[in-house]
Amino acid sequence: MMLEHVLVLSAYLFFTDIYGLITSRNMVRALMCLELILNAVNINFVTFYDLFDSRQLEGNIFSIFAIVIVAAEASIGSAIVSLIYRKKKSTCINQSTFLTK
Amino acid sequence: MKSISIYLSLILHRTDLLGPIHNFLLVFLGSSLILGSLGMVLLTNPIYSALSLGLVLVCISLFYILSNSHFVAAAQLFIYVGAINVLILFAVMFMNGSEYYKDFNLWTIGNGLTSLVCTSILVSLITTILDTSWYGIIWTTRSNQIIEQDLLSNSQQIGIHLAIDFFLPFEFISIILLVALIGAIVVARQ
Repeated sequence: MMLEHVLVLSAYLFFTDIYGLITSRNMVRALMCLELILNAVNINFVTFYDLFDSRQLEGNIFSIFAIVIVAAEASIGSAIVSLIYRKKKSTCINQSTFLTK
Repeated sequence: MKSISIYLSLILHRTDLLGPIHNFLLVFLGSSLILGSLGMVLLTNPIYSALSLGLVLVCISLFYILSNSHFVAAAQLFIYVGAINVLILFAVMFMNGSEYYKDFNLWTIGNGLTSLVCTSILVSLITTILDTSWYGIIWTTRSNQIIEQDLLSNSQQIGIHLAIDFFLPFEFISIILLVALIGAIVVARQ
C-alpha cells in the first residue's frame, strides 16, 4: 500500500513539473521545474531502496550522484540565464536568438 | 525514523505507534507536496513560486527521513534547499521585477493541450502502477561477505559502497563538479 502511494505521488510531481516546464514563459521558472522533475525521480530511487532487499540495489548511491549532477547543472543554468538577461534585458523564453552578439 | 518512533513509544507507553506515525507523516508530507508543486506552477509572482519550491524540497527531505535514508535526506537539505534554492532565489531577484505583475497567466491553447496530454499520461501511469504486483518481484540475493548490511547505518553503507564499488564514478563526479564550476564562472563573467 505504501509503495503505490509513493509512486503515485512521485508520478504526480513529475507530470506537474513537466507541465510547468513546458508552459512557463519565464526562464527561471523552467529551471525550477527542471529541479523538481529530477527530485521526483530521486523519490522513486529512494523508495525502491527502502522497500526492497538492499543488498544488490544501490539506489541511495545513484540518488546522491543525481543530486550532485543537478547541483552542477543548476549552477551552469543560472549562469546562462544571467548572461541572457544581461544581453537581452528580458527573460521571455520565446526568443530564439539568445546568445548572439 | 524507526528509532524515533521507538523512543516516542517508550515515552508514551504505547507499543503500536510506528505504523500510525508513519501513515500520518506520509499523508501530511504528501498533501504539502501536492499543494507546493501546484503553487509553484500556478503562482504568478516568481518569488512565491521559488519559496514553494523550497517547501517542496524540505518535504522531500523529510520524506527521505521516513524512508530510512538519513544521509540522502541531509544531502538533499544541504544541497537543494541550502544551495540550489538560494541560487534560484538570487536568479529570480536579479531579474527585473516590474514586468511580472502583468497578467501573464493567460490560458492559451498550448496550456490546455499540454495539461490534457500530461493528465492523460499521468492517469495511464497511475493505472499501470496500481495494476502491477510489486511484491511478486523476487530479487535474487547474493551473500555479501564483506559487510553485514543490517548492522550498519545508512551513512556507513553509502561510504562502503562509494569506496569499493563506486570508486570510479566518485572520482568522475568530483571532476564534473570542478568543470561545472569553472564553466559557470567563465560564462557569468563579462
